[in-house]
Amino acid sequence: MFEAPFRFFFEHSPAMFAQGEIRWAAWTGSFVAVAVTGAAIAAAVISYRGASRLSLRDRLVLTTVRVALLLLVLACLFRPMLVVRAAVPQQNVVGVLLDDSRSMQIADLDGQSRASYVRSDFGALDGGALKALADRFTVRVFRFSSTATRAAQGRDLGFDGTETRLGAALSAARQELAGLPLAGLVMVSDGADTADTALGEALLGLKAEAIPVFTVGVGRETLDRDIQIGRVSTPRTALKGTTLLVDVVIAHRGYDGQSVTLDVEDEGRIVSTQQVTLPSAGAPATVPVRITVADEGPRVLRFRVPTMPGELVTQNNHREALIDVRDRRERILYFEGEPRFELKFIRRAVTEDENVEVVALQRTADNKYLRLGVDTPDELVAGFPKTREELFAYRGLVLGSVEAGSFTGDQLRMIAEFVDRRGGGLLALGGPRAFSEGGYAGTAVADVLPVVLDASLRQKEGEVMRLQVRPTRAGAASAVTQVAGTEAASVERWNTLPLVTAVNQLDRVKPGATVLLSAQEGSRRDYPVLVFQRYGRGKAFAFTPQDSWVWQMHATIPVEDLTHENYWRQLLRWVVDEVPDQVEIRTASDRVEPGSTATFTSSVADAAFVELNDASVTAAVTGPDGAVTDVPMAWSGEEAGEYEGSFPTVAPGWYEVRVRATRAGTEVGTAVSHVRAAPGEQEYFDATRRTGTLRRVAEETGGRSYAAGDTATLADDLRYTGRGVTTVEEHELWNMPIVLMLLVGLLCAEWGYRRVVGLP
Amino acid sequence: MVLAGLAGGIAFAQDGFFRGRGRFSPVPAEARVEYDGRFSFVRLRYQGGVRRDPGWAHDYPRADWHFQRILEEITFTRTLRDESNILTLDDPDLGLHPVVYMSEPGFWTLTEAETAGLRAYLQKGGFIIFDDFRGTRDWSNLQGRMADVLPEARWVTLDASHPVFHSFFDIDTLVSEGYYGEAQFLGIFEDNDATKRLLAVANYNHDLGELWEFSDTGWVPVDLSNEAYKYGVNYVIYAMTH
Repeated sequence: MFEAPFRFFFEHSPAMFAQGEIRWAAWTGSFVAVAVTGAAIAAAVISYRGASRLSLRDRLVLTTVRVALLLLVLACLFRPMLVVRAAVPQQNVVGVLLDDSRSMQIADLDGQSRASYVRSDFGALDGGALKALADRFTVRVFRFSSTATRAAQGRDLGFDGTETRLGAALSAARQELAGLPLAGLVMVSDGADTADTALGEALLGLKAEAIPVFTVGVGRETLDRDIQIGRVSTPRTALKGTTLLVDVVIAHRGYDGQSVTLDVEDEGRIVSTQQVTLPSAGAPATVPVRITVADEGPRVLRFRVPTMPGELVTQNNHREALIDVRDRRERILYFEGEPRFELKFIRRAVTEDENVEVVALQRTADNKYLRLGVDTPDELVAGFPKTREELFAYRGLVLGSVEAGSFTGDQLRMIAEFVDRRGGGLLALGGPRAFSEGGYAGTAVADVLPVVLDASLRQKEGEVMRLQVRPTRAGAASAVTQVAGTEAASVERWNTLPLVTAVNQLDRVKPGATVLLSAQEGSRRDYPVLVFQRYGRGKAFAFTPQDSWVWQMHATIPVEDLTHENYWRQLLRWVVDEVPDQVEIRTASDRVEPGSTATFTSSVADAAFVELNDASVTAAVTGPDGAVTDVPMAWSGEEAGEYEGSFPTVAPGWYEVRVRATRAGTEVGTAVSHVRAAPGEQEYFDATRRTGTLRRVAEETGGRSYAAGDTATLADDLRYTGRGVTTVEEHELWNMPIVLMLLVGLLCAEWGYRRVVGLP
Repeated sequence: MVLAGLAGGIAFAQDGFFRGRGRFSPVPAEARVEYDGRFSFVRLRYQGGVRRDPGWAHDYPRADWHFQRILEEITFTRTLRDESNILTLDDPDLGLHPVVYMSEPGFWTLTEAETAGLRAYLQKGGFIIFDDFRGTRDWSNLQGRMADVLPEARWVTLDASHPVFHSFFDIDTLVSEGYYGEAQFLGIFEDNDATKRLLAVANYNHDLGELWEFSDTGWVPVDLSNEAYKYGVNYVIYAMTH
């Protein structure tokens, strides 16, 4: 924008000034001129000083203007020069990287596609910007999407790449042109980088070699009319039968106030549909969607909104998310210290749930236990587990009304480690033997809990608090505390549930904790009811009432009402959600391009969840054709117990990765995950021109950024990058138009001022 | 013996209120203690009975309070100890007490509201103990009233292997002399499925309440009182865990 005026005033381009340096070519006469100028300045000062009828300010102004004029003339007599290194014509190479991804097909340039601009301006050496470059340099053309490859001509581009990886493309071009006299790189792109990795690493390599990148941004920075599924937050894994509350962000421009239908498909079957009214002023709509994952295995959920009239990009109207649905029985140990109805009704709430099992250890009297739901005659026969291996076999732990004194110090530490190290879920229930009243303040368990335990705060004997439980803002938006079909209906349901009681004095929650349910009790406000926090690798919850079963038994609750069952089912599923096994597997991405490499890592630990670095870990990869390939995995050397592996995908489809870890001939465990090889649609999301990204690439490497169609100076600017085979050019600066303008301006200013103050 | 002795000791030492109350003293039509999370013995009141001491009130309050004290002393259950509730089957507070006790169901009558109340109570998770009845007439009345409440329900004779007889005490044989002759223990299962929970238990030819009531007097054999407490404790612990 400022290029043309700059050139008008300074005769040369900003690029030349940026690269070059200013020197003075003084000659003998210059020093004579110093004496003459000095005398002239002295005469001016004396002359104006004697003009007694002028005010001091007038004399100062006139003297200053005259002195500036004389100094400007003196500077010109010292012959200022701009010394630049200019590329020798046809002796240097310029790499031109053309974006070959699918987003370039978007027709947002006055009806023309971005691709057509690239074809016309960079498509051939005999026209457009590419010709200007070819006149001065040897041009190497690259096409890039996920990486850069050489292209004979820009016209050959197909614009069908499913990814745009700016960093990988720049690095590939840099390596390809290594050893050549490279003046710089030109990147023509919309800048919509879809890479998972940061751009910074590639830029560091370019900066280290001082290779400037000149970027040409293609496309518009905003689309007039577009709607897209902006973001969908789903977990990577879920237990079969879990109801997920997924936040779907619908971004749009130009459809304020209009109603659209948001559908969710599970492998082609619509599992949710709802109407969404788009907010005004282009604000995105965040829509909570309830989905129950009912089928085992890798499931692709597809979220979509219909094509709207006048939409430029329709491919971003849907988005897919992969969830690995696991059909397994998650075992939760519930240790209850006194006979009470809470245990019965919590067990009953999940009786029908095939994926959650509550193993109950009911202490009925001193050293007398009732065991319910045990798998073997020996399970829990000696009471609460005494070893980490025994306790860590469970994925969740519920502590009922049982005092801290019933545990040994090591058992209390084990419970803390169950959360911190094993990554399990701990749920502490309210009761007269729980929290501070149960003597937990100052124990290892108190550190884990999301509420602050104060030993000096204890409920008086016989006093109960009666609680009308309500969801907080976080609770209203959480799937766990949603007890009706919609958020509003859920809040209403909570408001009508009967009172429950609590007997624990709890005033504060930990700084990192989230309160999902709270209650107003008498003059007290916001008594915490359901509080959650992450701790170490696991999660800790506090549920403070002592009798949530009232939500099942109260006279106002109809027989068919499932509020209590749903609440406990959802809460217990959350307690064991994403609790790690001894062997875990994580894939870098749930989707890769067909033909590219899928990478994955696996963590391996023993039964006490101590990481193992000496395990033998192998992945059996089953491809879409059913062929099984064994992939050995090696310890990463960076994280304890972490192993890495990768395999190349060939055909599109599902790849099952089944990891098996053994140690000294004994199996440690197995884990399964899935990767899908399929072309992605992410090119069409947020597919506007990313001026900021392109500018960053240019500025960090010492290049410049241009808009499409405004590349007239590109070739000239590349001449003065100072790289490659160069020659030194000296340009006189005294004859710049700006100098003449300054001289004339100063003369006029002095003359005009003298007229104003009455001097001839 | 231990239990009966314990009950006697506790009662005589602590109970100044009901010790002097005669067996046929008038009973209140209602006793209601504000719910606070502790276990309360709930005695069900119904219309019917011809005696001055109505059947539903038989053994009140000594049996109720003795039982609560025993339950609290030998288990970790927190109880109201010296207070208890008398409620009807259509009482809104019934749901706050998932275990209820009915005496002399041979005289039990039901209103429509009570029928619906008990049906919902049992379906939602409640547990009812029928006690103090004998003979065909009593049994027929109990069967008839329960058929009104749960038409599909079938009474099943329980054997000693059922978990209800092992929830706290291990009761290895049910062959015992009841208060009125040879006792039988019958139950109704959820969905008539013996693998599911018990909704109701009936002590045929037995009167646990009577044995609880007089466990501190020496008027009834100590062994019988002990056994009676064992059944009661097991019923409550079972109901709290199943």
